[in-house]
Amino acid sequence: MSDLAATGQGLAEQTVFRVLVVDDDVDMAAFLAKIIANEGLAAEMVHDGPAALAAVAAAAPDLVLLDVMLPCTSGFEVCRQLKSDPLTALIPVVLVTALEDHASRVRGIESGADDFLRKPVEPEELIARVKTLRRLHETRRELEARRLAAELEHKDAIHKALSRYVSPRLTERIVGAASGPAPFKAQAERADVVALFADLRGFTRITETVGVHTVVDMLNEYFSVITEAAYQHEGTIFNMAGDSLLVGFNVPFAQPDAPQRAWRTAMDMVSRFAPVSAEWRARHGVSTGVGIGLCRGEVIIGNVGSPHFMSYTIIGDTVNTAARLMQVAHADEVLLEATLYEAIRPLLPAERVEARGEVALRGKAEAVRVYSVRL
Amino acid sequence: MGFMSDDALTVKVSKDIEDLIPVFLANRKKEVETLRTALAAGDFEQLRQVGHRMRGVGHSYGFDRVSTLGKEIEDAARSGDKAALEGCIAAYSHYLSNLRVAYE
Repeated sequence: MSDLAATGQGLAEQTVFRVLVVDDDVDMAAFLAKIIANEGLAAEMVHDGPAALAAVAAAAPDLVLLDVMLPCTSGFEVCRQLKSDPLTALIPVVLVTALEDHASRVRGIESGADDFLRKPVEPEELIARVKTLRRLHETRRELEARRLAAELEHKDAIHKALSRYVSPRLTERIVGAASGPAPFKAQAERADVVALFADLRGFTRITETVGVHTVVDMLNEYFSVITEAAYQHEGTIFNMAGDSLLVGFNVPFAQPDAPQRAWRTAMDMVSRFAPVSAEWRARHGVSTGVGIGLCRGEVIIGNVGSPHFMSYTIIGDTVNTAARLMQVAHADEVLLEATLYEAIRPLLPAERVEARGEVALRGKAEAVRVYSVRL
Repeated sequence: MGFMSDDALTVKVSKDIEDLIPVFLANRKKEVETLRTALAAGDFEQLRQVGHRMRGVGHSYGFDRVSTLGKEIEDAARSGDKAALEGCIAAYSHYLSNLRVAYE
């Protein structure tokens, strides 16, 4: 049970500094609440420990004025409980005591009290202490708000930077991780990844037949659908140049099903682009499709570039092979190297798979065993 | 113990807490009854507790006599001094019946 002091203002009103007065003596509680109310602050009264804890839990006050001699649960215990809960630890607690001995002061300090007030209570002293703690409390709150704002700003900056490379879900996972190993390490490292290269077939014809602004709009439309597909399967976008896109799987976070994710991404890219391609054909008379190269193997992951421009990327033979496969893939065709093919074989539509045998790829000394899937 | 002068029975109280005084005084009168009942029952612990409470609340409201009587009651209850307690309770009752409050 609690009753409001004659301020006409409840604790629910956020702008008023709110004091919870805890005293089993109703006259003493009324006296303290009255002095506080006369200063334009809001005061609520409760008369025992459990009621005090319940009142704080229901609506945290800005300050607690706590008598030590309470029935059931002592003021020391109430104070200790408030100070041990992270949600209430910052609420200033003033212990009010008629005891003059040092032992109770020591107990009060041990229980976490911020200040003491001795009975009989002098109104001037009470107000002075409340005002001091109010200033302290407001400074604390302001500092905490500034710290939170800075933290949010920092997270937002990281969020914006990361969202250029990875899916929104992955961005949340990286930004939200309070601890653990940093996914983007300062030093380069080797890792086993699946590289997917996709580009637009028929792009040269487009640039020759439509205006420059339309080309940019079309490219944006194309990249929108294929990056959506990459994000859908939590691939990391490493590079976007011209009309080609490089997506990595199993990087920066481990994805044991990286081959399957890469394959599904390839299928999604082709199927998501199909209606766009049909519309372009109707509107501009151009024939387009997505050509995709997939390769699995070791790459070097790191921040590559100069102090002026840096890019988080994957490099190595696996990436080169995926790029070469993409270059020779036809519209709506996925070319895979053999080890990746073996890993995802059960997923592939057997009737559309064609073994191309050993294929000599530009820039590669040894021929690569290649499989084709027409979608 | 002689009767107190009128001046001694006039209590100056801040206008800021004027509206609390009627309830405060009513509670003090109830307190006298509580003390009498506790004394009749020989309940020294309750007498000590009431005395302790009087000591805390009296000065705060500006009723110093309530606090000094509270301390006497607390001490007498501790030592089990029935006669002293009887005297204190009678003095408390007399004080409450005769005091005048001046708001300033």
